[in-house]
Amino acid sequence: MKLNNKKPYPVLSIAALAVLVVLLVILELNKNNFGMAVSILQKSAILAIVAVSMNLLNGFTGLFSLGQAGFMAIGAYVTAIFSIPTETIDSVYYTGGLAPWLKDLRLALDILPVSLQIILGILAGGLVAAAFAALIGIPVLRLKSDYLAIATLGFSEIIRAIISSPQMDKITNGSYGLKNIPGFALGLDFLPAGIGTLLVPFTVAGICIGFMVLVIRSSYGRAFMAIREDGVAAEAMGINLLKHKEISFIISSFFTAVAGGLLAMFMRSIEARTFQITLTYDILLIVVIGGLGSITGSVLSAFLVTAAKEWWLRFFDTPLVIGGVTIPLFRTGFRMVIFSLLLMLVVLFFRRGLMGNREFAWADLLSWPQHLSKKASSGHKTGKGGKKNG
Amino acid sequence: MSLTTFIQHILTGVSLGGAYALIAIGYTLVYGILLLINFAHSDIFMMAGYFMIFAMATMPWPIAIPVVIVATVILGVLIEKAAYKPLRSAPRMSIMISSIGVSYLLQNLATYLFSALPKGYPTITPLKKVFQIGPVSASLVTFLTPVLTLILVFILMYLINHTKLGMAMRAVSKDYDTSKLMGIKINQIISLTFVIGSSMAAIGSILYFTDRMSVTPFSGTLPGLKCFVAAVLGGIGSVPGAVLGGFIIGISETFLTALGYSTYSDAFTFVLLILILIFRPTGLIGETVTDKV
Amino acid sequence: MQFGGVVAVDNLSLQVQRGEIVALIGPNGAGKTTAFNVVTGVYAPTNGQVQFKGQTIAENFPRGKMESLYAGQNKGVYTAKVWPTPDLITKKGIARTFQNIRLFKNMTVFENVLIAKHMNMKAGFFSAAFHLNGREEEQMRQESLKLLEMVNLLDLKDEIADNLPYGKQRRLEIARALATSPDLLLLDEPAAGMNPQETHALTAFIRQIKKDFNLTILMIEHHMNLVMDISDRIYVIDFGELIATGTPEQVQNDPAVIAAYLGVDE
Repeated sequence: MKLNNKKPYPVLSIAALAVLVVLLVILELNKNNFGMAVSILQKSAILAIVAVSMNLLNGFTGLFSLGQAGFMAIGAYVTAIFSIPTETIDSVYYTGGLAPWLKDLRLALDILPVSLQIILGILAGGLVAAAFAALIGIPVLRLKSDYLAIATLGFSEIIRAIISSPQMDKITNGSYGLKNIPGFALGLDFLPAGIGTLLVPFTVAGICIGFMVLVIRSSYGRAFMAIREDGVAAEAMGINLLKHKEISFIISSFFTAVAGGLLAMFMRSIEARTFQITLTYDILLIVVIGGLGSITGSVLSAFLVTAAKEWWLRFFDTPLVIGGVTIPLFRTGFRMVIFSLLLMLVVLFFRRGLMGNREFAWADLLSWPQHLSKKASSGHKTGKGGKKNG
Repeated sequence: MSLTTFIQHILTGVSLGGAYALIAIGYTLVYGILLLINFAHSDIFMMAGYFMIFAMATMPWPIAIPVVIVATVILGVLIEKAAYKPLRSAPRMSIMISSIGVSYLLQNLATYLFSALPKGYPTITPLKKVFQIGPVSASLVTFLTPVLTLILVFILMYLINHTKLGMAMRAVSKDYDTSKLMGIKINQIISLTFVIGSSMAAIGSILYFTDRMSVTPFSGTLPGLKCFVAAVLGGIGSVPGAVLGGFIIGISETFLTALGYSTYSDAFTFVLLILILIFRPTGLIGETVTDKV
Repeated sequence: MQFGGVVAVDNLSLQVQRGEIVALIGPNGAGKTTAFNVVTGVYAPTNGQVQFKGQTIAENFPRGKMESLYAGQNKGVYTAKVWPTPDLITKKGIARTFQNIRLFKNMTVFENVLIAKHMNMKAGFFSAAFHLNGREEEQMRQESLKLLEMVNLLDLKDEIADNLPYGKQRRLEIARALATSPDLLLLDEPAAGMNPQETHALTAFIRQIKKDFNLTILMIEHHMNLVMDISDRIYVIDFGELIATGTPEQVQNDPAVIAAYLGVDE
């Protein structure tokens, strides 16, 4: 990602943001008619957070980590444990009951409004994940990229195993999973009933992604990119590799866990199986389609891919009849095959993804009409030496 | 634990280890030559399971087995040509992502074609016959697996160390670019690597699934990861290493499950991985390489 | 310095006084870059010590497997374990360039230099993340721009580093090293791949930056014109061992050097 030397258009950004908020509120108020759209937008916002944090680690710092599912699991479980209404907790932990110290803690926290408890839960999830990341990072971050991938994959599975083990029954409810997790609308009781459905995930996503953008544009962001470009040279220029890799890893894991907490609220009930390695693969593919090294790409891709998977490609799952003839291939599961094939196409032929490593800039969009007319009038452009993009 | 039970478990463990060893060979060979973690290998193994189900439905087992091996090899080579070959000059991460993509595709394809519900694995009658040796009893397949594994590994080691083809393979894994310049037919060697790896996986899958009863589209994921760990444990790039790793993991998994810690047996494999990567990244019998700055 | 069974550098003792330009020469594979790597912390010495400004910044002695394997000299001389990572050594004031250019290829010229300023930034992570260090950031940018101007690369500041012609890439790498405000600059074959005119320009360039930045320079080089022209003293090594040392005139006439290596006058 190049430093943004292009002219910023703050007015346009604010205007776009306003339009987005208005659209969200409209959808919010009409959500019964737009059920699927709302659900997809929620999931996209959540996945966008994970995609950006994975991009931070993978695309910007060059650390190929595949542990996202594990950190999401941590975030989801911690959030769930702190947000399941205390009245129903015993019914959720029906086999052995919640650990007494946890129960006391929950009851003590009950003096706080529910929304605050949930916020604390999400933050706690992030912090627990960050602590794990800090610990895991020390041995693991100095491994070569392929080994880092497998090691983080391993941790993801270890976390899953621990969560579903019978020994953890009193805390995570073991293999039974957790249910009765409050959704976004119920979560905020100082807003008119139900309005949180879209605004909560989007606001949280905005804050998380916003912070990560700030980090990328700071000196530390540049240090991360230096590590990606050439770790030996970065070290020679005074950048402590372990410290900076740890920072990147911790930040990424924190936000991944926050997104995990949101996912728990989205799904209302979770179990260890929700956080298999396939979840990490899903995010990786979103990031690749968007473009490694482009935050705009990750966000766009999260929305596009989720919409495609859950909505547009549904077409392929239902039997297709043309003129009385049933086309043989269309049935359940075809959608995912088509999706996987599209993915392979991107991986093989469009490796740089949607945005490559560029970010969105109003200046680019506004100069498009000029661009087109120039091309039309002058025919072939003679470039100066041709900029290589990596 | 009585001696009989102990020996019984050793037997089971060695048998499982043998299957793991065969699969691990696929990982280690491909990594040695292409520096690629072939995430799709586990799903090739899974597809071999399905191939067997359909082969056995229409032909007797002496014909079905070679058919399955051939089909798996074709699948493996096809994947290499379609998904890895075009990316040979791309950064390493791209080809790894491609293998993840293929893994994803195979799982979804299997779900679409065969549904996500478990499909029963056919019984190969002679393999299921139970034998009694002293106080210990097990089916033929349990006795056969480690023996077969060792035979196959010996053949493979002979190929690698005493034939011209094997020398070519070793050359490519030591120095890819120079090998090309020396006139070694890279494409052939790489295809050969996948042929060997896929056929081993097919045989391993027959031995593995015969004891397991059923196949799902996700049957390959966990064994695949464990086998990759086995390859790393032994020393990635080394065939004897993969075999050693396979047996270690097979035996420890069996004992952990027998002692009641089955949930942890999977996690244990990964703990082993982390430990090996920290303390001896080149594996138990691998070789050290220093990077030149 | 021993790798496995090979002693790459043996009984090599270098001294560089403040304000000098010292050259380290010798045939390919003699162990010069290895020596650099020990000084900059990329390798811990197998048996040896590095001192800088009166402080021991690296030291080691053969232990474990290496204890029985060690085939070099001076066994038993060193007793401490000082193993800093390279970034710590850079922070003490030693910067380097690389034999094979290691620029941050996909980043711009400006960014390459700016990144080298990161290590001296006083702001902590959160301060920087929330962009509360505006003034310091601006200062780092100004300093980087000034640096680029002094090395004549300012007009190319937004160009992607990989697109630069070879000679300018070398200059950029030197500029980047200078951005860490070093006292001692290690140059690893700065003239590699250059023709006589470029080498001549480089000679003047090195003299200039030494003056402007008050530097001490230790340099590995094969281009004898550059070496003889600019060095105050020279060390000659071959097969990891020192074979001659002295002023350029002394070294030029040393029979051992003439016998082993006198390079091609480029």
